Amino acid sequence: MDFTLSKEHEMARSLFREFAEKEVKPLAKEVDETETFPRATVEKMAKNGFLGIPVPKEYGGQGCDPLTYVMCVEELSKVCGTTGVIVSAHTSLCCDPILTYGTEEQKQKYLVPLAKGEKLGAFGLTEPGAGTDAQGVQTKAVLDGDEWVLNGSKIFITNGKEADVYVIFAVTGVTEDKKGRKKKLFSAFIVEKGTPGFTFGTKEKKMGIRGSSTYELIFTDCRIPKENLLGPEGKGFSIAMHTLDGGRIGIAAQALGLAEGALETTIAYVKERKQFGRAIAAFQNTQFQIADMATKVEAAQLLVYKAAMAKATQKVYSVEAAKAKLYAAEVAMEVTTKAVQLHGGYGYTREYDVERMMRDAKITEIYEGTSEVQRMVISGALLK
Amino acid sequence: MNLEEYKGVFIFAQQVDNVVSGIAYELIGKGKELAKDLGTEVTAVLIGYNVKDLADDLAAYGADRVIVVDDPELKEYRTEPYAHALASVIQKYKPEVMLVGATAIGRDLGPRVSARIHTGLTADCTQLEIGDFPLNPVPGQEQKHNQLLMTRPAFGGNTIATIACPNFRPQMATVRPGVMQKLPKVEGAKAVVEEFNPGFTPNRNYVEILDIVKSVVDTVDIMDAKILVSGGRGVGSAENFKLLDDLAEAIGGTVSCSRAVVDAGWKPKDLQVGQTGKTVRPNVYFAIGISGAIQHLAGMEESDLIIAINKDESAPIFDVADYGIVGDLNKIVPLLTQHIKEVKAQNK
Repeated sequence: MDFTLSKEHEMARSLFREFAEKEVKPLAKEVDETETFPRATVEKMAKNGFLGIPVPKEYGGQGCDPLTYVMCVEELSKVCGTTGVIVSAHTSLCCDPILTYGTEEQKQKYLVPLAKGEKLGAFGLTEPGAGTDAQGVQTKAVLDGDEWVLNGSKIFITNGKEADVYVIFAVTGVTEDKKGRKKKLFSAFIVEKGTPGFTFGTKEKKMGIRGSSTYELIFTDCRIPKENLLGPEGKGFSIAMHTLDGGRIGIAAQALGLAEGALETTIAYVKERKQFGRAIAAFQNTQFQIADMATKVEAAQLLVYKAAMAKATQKVYSVEAAKAKLYAAEVAMEVTTKAVQLHGGYGYTREYDVERMMRDAKITEIYEGTSEVQRMVISGALLK
Repeated sequence: MNLEEYKGVFIFAQQVDNVVSGIAYELIGKGKELAKDLGTEVTAVLIGYNVKDLADDLAAYGADRVIVVDDPELKEYRTEPYAHALASVIQKYKPEVMLVGATAIGRDLGPRVSARIHTGLTADCTQLEIGDFPLNPVPGQEQKHNQLLMTRPAFGGNTIATIACPNFRPQMATVRPGVMQKLPKVEGAKAVVEEFNPGFTPNRNYVEILDIVKSVVDTVDIMDAKILVSGGRGVGSAENFKLLDDLAEAIGGTVSCSRAVVDAGWKPKDLQVGQTGKTVRPNVYFAIGISGAIQHLAGMEESDLIIAINKDESAPIFDVADYGIVGDLNKIVPLLTQHIKEVKAQNK
């Protein structure tokens, strides 16, 4: 048991922090206001190797552990929730399943450029009728000769339209469970942008993480080569669930970063702001609020780091990931809300960063499995 | 009131601009059935100006007798002279049953006449039959036979009421258009034509018609439309919505759409049905090329009748549809349009 970070981790963290302060923070407000995807920042991150941190070096990545990757998302999210989620969706939801389930050819063809940051990745599972209940998926894939034919649509896809490589889930069959009920069989596929029959629908107008590009994907008789099946046919559901376990650590890191960013900003603000002839930091209400916020942030950080370590050292880390995401997301919501309050009227204006952090925080309780789903995972494991 | 004096089934043969409205033929068709059960005949009451030659049309569809009230005062429909005309016919001829179409004209005329002659009226009936009242004998109460049992939806269609008028004559009903079947046309059929004019003395209840406006409504608010022809992404393009426009025109409906169509820029936002669009409750909703995500269903599942056309048989829209066709909308919709046009042409 050791709570001190290694030298390598400390170095990595300072590198991420410097990049975030210098390259990401100055653009955060504009990215939010104009709802533009920070393309230039993504290219700079690619140059710095931020888009393949946990991918082994032989596949073009940095060969670091999950904790290093978590710290990257955390530091980026401290200043910009949008940038944090771009890295998280790309790394956890697209690189990771290809690394875990891909064939050598698939890794060479797709993972290498993804990890190098030459290409951006995304993950398509959710549909209008299938959010928390993934069994509602309607998108179908049918094998026709040596091609799979995809028909259907996906919604709320992070990095949609901006990404080049998509991991898509579709129904490829039906089976019966022990009770004789019909269950859909899913399979995972790698689909490239530009494939005929693969188009983009609506861009969602969101409350927060407004620079993150969230699109609808549409598949109309979209033909992809047979060899783009990812993992075994019919095993898509477990591939999706395993992928989301890792993704949840990424989102937990994003939530943690948002909370830390809001806390740091607020500490600086309450020291400067004067009322009744003194800084508002001198009032006990402020002091206690800050104490609560800091304590919760640290508790969240320990859960998130523990989940990252679990991913590095053990096969199954669903519960650790679920606890980390659940707690960090709820802390992010609470801390950012309090941060706005401690800023008073100024906190409600878009001149200050905390209102953006509060808007960004809310999504962390929803995507990659709502807080309720995390509770299902945790209690399911405890009450077996 | 001596109920025995009243005999025969009468229908009000609505005409506008000296053209018999379709509802008149539907009423004759239904009237024939009722008359058969009562062992009597069907009489059409034709009210207007220079309308005598329409009597043959009424005969061709089964009227045994036509009573014509022809007067310049009756050129256009106005409540007072028409009510006077029809009430006078009833007072003179004493019909047992008087049916009026539940059109804008009939809904105005029916209650006016029933109050004037002091009898019962059931509005907007969807079913009429001859039977006993009460349906099952009640001790101490006389069960009357050969009564007109009038059935109509009430409370917005949430309950069905069957109503009788045992103690007054005629038994009056306005009948919902499109529910009853007209008989096949018999060319050259002749009816007994009687002219009757009760005389018209304009009084202060005679309104003066200043202007009659006939507008072809181009855009109906989709929330008010009775029939919606709604297209989704499956329609494929803005141009291809012409198929739906044609169908809507043939069936007298309005085109609406799903969010995907608005996002694609094919249709304006005010035609969007669904959670983030409008909530609609038409009588008929055609869902064409719409998969039926809950976000869309929430805006239309209260429709009385849902007809889905989709190439994917597992599309969720079929879970809520009353009628569904699995197939290519590009083939189905034109055929449907053509068929509707043919049926309408026959009914002209």
